Parts: sequence; C-alpha cells; structure tokens
Amino acid sequence: MIYIGDVLVSRGEGGVYSERMLAGARIWDPFRSKLAALYYSGTGVELTPEMRVLYLGAANGTTVSHVADYTDVVYAVEFAPRPMQDLLEVARRRQNLVPIMADASRPELYAPLVEAVDLLYQDVAQPDQAAILIRNCVFLRPGGMAILMLKTRSVDIRKSPEEVFRDTMAELAAAGLTVVESVWLSPYHKDHAAIVCSKSPGN
Amino acid sequence: MRSYWFGDIGDGGCHPAEGDTGARVQRLQSLRTTMDNYVLLNWEDAVACGICNDRAGYLAALRELCFAAAEQQIREQYAGKDTELLQMVRTLDEMDEAINLLSERVTEWHQVRHPTFSRKYRRTPAHIQVKNIALKGRGALGMVATQVEQLAAARTDLAKEVSARAGRVLPNTSALIGGLVAARLMSAAGGLLPLSRLPGSAIQVLGARTALFAHLRTKSPSPKHGVIFQHRRVHNAPKERRGKVARALAGKLAIAARLDYFRGVAVPEFLDDAQARIDRIGTGDSP
Repeated sequence: MIYIGDVLVSRGEGGVYSERMLAGARIWDPFRSKLAALYYSGTGVELTPEMRVLYLGAANGTTVSHVADYTDVVYAVEFAPRPMQDLLEVARRRQNLVPIMADASRPELYAPLVEAVDLLYQDVAQPDQAAILIRNCVFLRPGGMAILMLKTRSVDIRKSPEEVFRDTMAELAAAGLTVVESVWLSPYHKDHAAIVCSKSPGN
Repeated sequence: MRSYWFGDIGDGGCHPAEGDTGARVQRLQSLRTTMDNYVLLNWEDAVACGICNDRAGYLAALRELCFAAAEQQIREQYAGKDTELLQMVRTLDEMDEAINLLSERVTEWHQVRHPTFSRKYRRTPAHIQVKNIALKGRGALGMVATQVEQLAAARTDLAKEVSARAGRVLPNTSALIGGLVAARLMSAAGGLLPLSRLPGSAIQVLGARTALFAHLRTKSPSPKHGVIFQHRRVHNAPKERRGKVARALAGKLAIAARLDYFRGVAVPEFLDDAQARIDRIGTGDSP
C-alpha cells in the first residue's frame, strides 16, 4: 500500500467523488471507505499490481476506484440501478474495471463473466452476508484471500454487534475458510467489522 | 459443454458467440449456469476462440459486453412505469411547497414596500396576489413574482401529467380515488410493488405517520386517514362517518393496488362493486 507520510493514497485519475489529492495521488479516506479503514487499522491484504479482484457490492464506485488503481483487474458487482449508473461512469474511465449488474447472492448469473480471482471483497448490506461470501468463494483461487465487511446492524438489529460477529466467524469457519484476522473498524465506522479469511491451498 | 460470455467450449473445441454486442448480451442472459462442479472461466480460452489476441483485448471485449448488458438492465428496471410517476408526484409535492413559501414571502416583501397595503378584508387568492405583484413590482421583486407565477403554471401542467399517467399505471386505484391521490399513495408506499403488498389498514393511514406513531406511543386516538383524506369521499363525509368510509375505501384500495400490479388494466366488475359499497357507507344506508 502507498502512504505519503501517514496518509493512505492510490495513484490514478482523480475526481471520482471529489476526493482530495496529495502530491498527485488520490487520498483514500478511511471515514468514507471501509477498506481504507481496515488499512489504517494496520492490517489488511496488500494490494498488488498483478492482483485480480472480485468486488461484491460496488455501489457508486468510490472504494472500487481505489482498488482498481492498485490492481490488475476488478470485477465490480452491483445490483441497484441508481448506484450502477455512477459505477458505469467510473468504469468508463478505468480500463481495468469490469462493471457487472447482478445480484451478488446469485453467482450463477455472472459466473460466465468472471475468472479466478486472488482477492474476494464483499461489502453488501444483506442479512446473509456470510452465506453470500461463501457462495462466491468458487471464484477464489486456492490460497486466495477474502475480505468480508460485516455490517452487523444489517445482519440482525436485535442481536448485539459482538453476537453477530461471533456467529459470522463460526459460519465462515464451518465453510472451510480460515480466518486470518478480524478487526472492528471503529472509530471510522460504527458497528462494522472487517474479517480477513484465506481459502486453503488444498482444494 | 461449458458456456461463457465469449462462447461455448465443448469436446469439439470452441464455438465463439456470434453476432454483435446486442446479440451477445441476449445470449449471456439466456445462459443457465449451475454452480455444481463449475469450471471457472479461463481468459486464454477466449484467445483460442478467436475473440481476442491478448489480455488487453480480452478485457476490452468483456467490458464492452458488460457495459451493454448493464445499460440494458438499468433501462429495463426503470421501464417499470411506476418509477417515473414516483419522481413526478414527488416533484409536484415539492413544487407546491416551494410555490407556497415563495408566494408568502413575496407578499410580505410587497407589504413592506407599500406601507398602506393590507390583505385584510380582501378576498384575493394568493396566486392573484402574486400576479398583481408581478405586474406592478419593480426590480427583483417583480422578477421573483413572475418566476413564482411561471412555476405555478408548470405545476398545473405537471399535475395534469401525473393524473394522466396515474390513470395508465394505476388504473384501478385511480378509478377509486383519482389519479393525483393514487399517485401520492404510491409515492408514500415507495412504489407500486410495495403498495400492492400493504394491507388495507396500512393504506388507510399512509401519510399519517406522525399521528400513527403518536398513537402507538401515547394514548392519543389512532389516525382515521392519511393521504386518502384528500379524496372528496373521505373529507366530504360527515365527521362521524369519516372513519368508516376511510376504512372501507382503504380496504378496496388494497385490492385495487394488487389488481394494478398483477393485471395492469382496469377491472370493471371490481370497480362497480367497490364504488357501490363505498357510496353505501358514505350515505349511511348500510349497517
């Protein structure tokens, strides 16, 4: 990851969401992007230029644009038409961004478009977040990494965030994923946790 | 045989997808993939297929297809006739607010310029007042008043369009309570599908949120009507029968909304029956 001083940045064309620039690079704001918050917490998966990424829940293309600055190709999946319009606009100016309009919980609908990826990133506001991640693990190459941005309040508002977190960890482990690390994203994002997993190289 | 966006791969090698981008989008959407024993796409197969020469060419071709598919899907999503009606009716309601605010303000401003002017004992409606100011007012005041007038004219046109479109999108609901109120009901519910899923009791108090939650939280009486009060059947009914009319009307509206969503055309048998029942209750002839 590229830091200028202690500010996380990415190198690419600016103006995606009127982000501020620093020495010609785009500042990646941890208060706006959960992935940036994960990097600020001192952990996360290092993004490399040869990486292929499947990004579920791309929304308006804010975080996606930064990921695309770092990596080889990003397959960005988004379902809702309104944010998709913005995502298409971002993708028009980034040749390594492949916008896919589909429901992330139905991988069979976009499987014919997506190749094996090194990183699976998921940030969807759905109650079955873990299940969606697991279903999409088929695209992850053996040994690849998965990042789940857990919105505990979207999963179950009646349970405490800690409870949702524990349940999710158990669900991921049961599906054969190894949880590498997990952090709460406070103070940047309330009641959000990032869970980094790896897929075993064996299968 | 394995099917990907660029073609089918079988024992006999690769059959590239044919036709232009539009045809490829159609083919893509007709693919039925199952995830059991799924073999992942390998971009080099596309080269073997003759779709592209290298990685850059592969991504360019894939992106072209994805953009076309996404644009088509967005268009289909918005083609649901209720999405534009929703924007129209919300625009209408916000214009009303803006016009009222500005009319008030312009009148106040006018009063300051003309110390002898008072609205007491004058039955001048607000829009006529604004018109007079637009004719007489000098400088910015006159210009603002003229703009308010024009905004009001645009509002009238929009209201007609909303009614007409509601008649097409919500034929049954509109027949019961008129296009404008039907459109407002749909807007309050968030769309035709959400409206069709609401029970009559919820439709009855749509748009009376404050009163409803005040009722749930404290001991205040429950609201009898929300948006549907705007229809003459409810507000013209005698006060003691209003709740009854609202309840019957809301029940029929719930059915009407479902007919609108699932059939999309007016159903005369239902409408005659519903009108008769609501009228009966309105005149107090029924038990």
